[in-house]
Amino acid sequence: MSKEHSPTRILLTVLGLVLAAGLPANAYIGPGAGFAFLSSFLVLLLTFFLAVFSFLSWPFRLLIRLIKGRKTLKGTLVDRVVIIGLDGLEPTLAEKFMAEGKLPHLSLLKKEGTYARLQTTTPAISPVAWSSFMTGSEPSKHNIFDFLSRDPKTYLPSLSSAYIGRPRRVISIGKYAVPLSKPEIRGMRKSVPFWKTLGEAGIFSTVLRVPITFPPEKFSGHLLSGMCAPDLKGSQGTFAFYTTDEVKHKRREGGVVIPVEVRDGRVRTYISGPENSLLKKAEEIKVPLRVEIDKKKGEVRVEVSGQRFGLKVGEFSPWIKITFRPGLGMKVKAIARFLVSQVEPHFEMYLTPLNIDPEKPALPISHPFIYSVYLSKLLGSFITLGEANDTWALNEGALKEAAFLELTYSNHMEWEAMFFNALSKTKKGAVVCVFETTDSIQHMFWRYLDKSHPALRSTSPEMSAQVIEDLYRRMDDLIGRARAKLDPRSALMVMSDHGFKSFRRGVNLNSWLYLNGYLRLKDGKTTSEEWFRDVDWEKTKAYALGLGGLYINQKGREANGIVSAGEETRALKAELISKLNELRDEAAGDVAITEAYDRDQVYSGPYAGNAPDLIIGYNQGFRASWDSVTGKVDSRVFEDNIKAWSGDHCIDPRHVPGVFFFSRKIEAKAPSIMDVAPTVLTLFGLPVPGHMDGRPLVSPGRPAGAPPKDKGKKK
Amino acid sequence: MGLINTILGKLFDLLLLPFRSLNPWAGMAFISLLTGLLMLFIYRLTSNQSGIRRVKDKIKAHLLELRLFKDNMGVTMRAQGQILRANLRYLALNLKPLLVMIVPLILILAQLNLWFGSEPLAVGRPAILKVKLKPDVNVLGTEFALESPPEITIETPPLRLEESREVDWRLKPTAAGTFDLTIRAGDKSYLKTVVVDGRRLEKVSSLKVKRSLLDEVLYPGEKTLPGESRIKTIEIVHPAKKLPLLGLRLHWLIAYLGLSIIFGFALKKPFRVEI
Repeated sequence: MSKEHSPTRILLTVLGLVLAAGLPANAYIGPGAGFAFLSSFLVLLLTFFLAVFSFLSWPFRLLIRLIKGRKTLKGTLVDRVVIIGLDGLEPTLAEKFMAEGKLPHLSLLKKEGTYARLQTTTPAISPVAWSSFMTGSEPSKHNIFDFLSRDPKTYLPSLSSAYIGRPRRVISIGKYAVPLSKPEIRGMRKSVPFWKTLGEAGIFSTVLRVPITFPPEKFSGHLLSGMCAPDLKGSQGTFAFYTTDEVKHKRREGGVVIPVEVRDGRVRTYISGPENSLLKKAEEIKVPLRVEIDKKKGEVRVEVSGQRFGLKVGEFSPWIKITFRPGLGMKVKAIARFLVSQVEPHFEMYLTPLNIDPEKPALPISHPFIYSVYLSKLLGSFITLGEANDTWALNEGALKEAAFLELTYSNHMEWEAMFFNALSKTKKGAVVCVFETTDSIQHMFWRYLDKSHPALRSTSPEMSAQVIEDLYRRMDDLIGRARAKLDPRSALMVMSDHGFKSFRRGVNLNSWLYLNGYLRLKDGKTTSEEWFRDVDWEKTKAYALGLGGLYINQKGREANGIVSAGEETRALKAELISKLNELRDEAAGDVAITEAYDRDQVYSGPYAGNAPDLIIGYNQGFRASWDSVTGKVDSRVFEDNIKAWSGDHCIDPRHVPGVFFFSRKIEAKAPSIMDVAPTVLTLFGLPVPGHMDGRPLVSPGRPAGAPPKDKGKKK
Repeated sequence: MGLINTILGKLFDLLLLPFRSLNPWAGMAFISLLTGLLMLFIYRLTSNQSGIRRVKDKIKAHLLELRLFKDNMGVTMRAQGQILRANLRYLALNLKPLLVMIVPLILILAQLNLWFGSEPLAVGRPAILKVKLKPDVNVLGTEFALESPPEITIETPPLRLEESREVDWRLKPTAAGTFDLTIRAGDKSYLKTVVVDGRRLEKVSSLKVKRSLLDEVLYPGEKTLPGESRIKTIEIVHPAKKLPLLGLRLHWLIAYLGLSIIFGFALKKPFRVEI
């Protein structure tokens, strides 16, 4: 065999040439190139097969849809409905800024279509209002009355929207309890959201971050859960604050303080993860965390979960993946962001709540399950926690105002990216996205609009009223960009679930009940710790829990109820309503409660029995105090609210209507949030189901301002 | 180049020493593992890891898009286009590490070729020795002679092939071992190593080449012929070595490719290399 014909030499020469040319035959140079080639080839192959399959099966799928009698979009008034929810956008501010010419896009929407104040639900709380939005029905039909509901057997609170339980079947192996079934995750919201009705008619929807959509339900479309989706610890968001400052080693609401020491320029600590449910005796899973401090450069190097990354003081890290190992080779993934706010004189570091990693979700946070994976791959990691913006961290001093704003707008940008992606891919159907940015920022910065707010007296201001104006301008800009993507056959709604008012004074209803003899403490006690720890239930007639609920301690319903159902309860409620409606805060010189609502008067649906017996409609400037919400009792009924959380909406719903902008004209003068779902169905030519309490804001014929289908031209 | 070849040659001798009496797959697996590790290390250092991660994520996202939007022909068509674009970007991102890796890899492949490319000559089985001459050498007019140790019998006088500028001899080994043949061309003489039988894994240099960078890189088994030599190459035609697998006889390069990819797959996660 001659040299010229040696196969090895030929192979090597060809190899050298193709490598130099960077062609796919780079497989021959080991794993790196081999993978590159193989992956690339497999992707092409897979794409090819999927394309062929998709192309060939499309007519059949269309045929199946037609046979099943599903509607096409032929007879509809629109091709697409886009709903942008700006949680808590306050009508008086929107109207003021529009009048000042600061919101040009919303003004145009108002001019070309409709603007109205939107009636909210009783109570005016986001989970309640958004549930009514999606189901078109009043709260007693969807069973959401507050963030919290109570267990009448224990008087303890539980999340109103979802129940997450342990797996029903487990096998015991040593110290482990190995699950044989999935954990029980049950949505508590009842009734049918409009996108499910649309899906049954063959109309596709993309639903992003709408509150009370965890756990996600099956329907024809895509959904990413919003408010009430938990973090990896199962809470509604638990931040961690690491500090060497002993003064700050105290309990923080909504978070944990982890004391640390700096030794040789290093902090060795841990990340506190979820409870290890594999263990019979559950304990927290911890991940080691090391921070090297470079004081001169004002930088740190963080080492966690096998990753090392640098971080400047005052700068947020990107999303970092954190892996918890409960055992048996299992991994649970979270994502979180770090912020080292200072390294001297004290080391202080904030860690966001441990968000469920959307790329490898430990709990279902989207429908279909792969939707969150898809978004994560396409747009990068994103916040998945329902209560996304860490208001507690700002409230508790773990975040400064500027850092909170930066984090909040960073979350907002992630949602915008998802929204515009959905908009570009849903040319026909519904796109619904709720931005909670407006709610969070108004909660935390409202005091800058209210010169008399007690929180302004207690701390030196870091920001100004401009924060709120900037927020409205940014939202207006978002609306402008969204409008630019719409054609005339698309209808746009911009709405808020409620408005906002100042929260100056907290009302501790439990203290009022105690002082008026309706709630009794155990012998010798004059106060009670949270969750009614020192309440004597056998002598208690009524108690308050959550942001607006008051419950009668009813015999046969509550574990230690003493008030009989029927006449005794009715009489007690009437007595309480009468007294509460006269409740005055002498220090503020105003009534604290505009109206206490009897649930029997406001609800008529099948779940009315789960509602609080009375729903307290606080006056403007008032709200349930922080202690009242968590079942604490003392001798003070009123107190100044000195937290950064200075604006609120959990008051009489008449004080906090939302906003409703619509690209079409409507006839109704006072639309309600329950009207949105029937309106969407009507726009798509579908009948309004009997369970909906709202009414369509457009007539089933061609709505005013809607162009005929064949004349649609892209703007 | 000679020094590099000597160092690499010694290194491979040392690395494969424990495997010489074992099935050749053992040595191949060991080298694949080591080179896999080395390549992973180089790849990690020279590639844009975050860029590769991003583009791979994009590809996966668009693949998921095909599934998520299967009823939307427009979206699926666009997704396919985006997959192709991302794939090209992925290959482009691989170009730099590939170019860097060419150098060590070709050196390694050349060494592996010595160990796994050819079988030693078998005792009693004839083999051909071919001497290729430069164009300016008179094939018929130059005196050629071959001297061999007693363990190698020279069965034929030199066969001169003017057209292919080649002089051939037929040899027949009579005993196992490594021997030197001396080829005389005019007043110059040149050595060629010949390996006969031996252990299951033997280093065999079938070709001795004149001094040039490419040839030295590809055939590092023996010292090169001097630049002024009349001879271009000296080759002993060895039987090709194959690695048996489930009744198949695999070329070593295929075995190396397969194993190195398997090891790479297994090791990329522990070593946190995005490929």
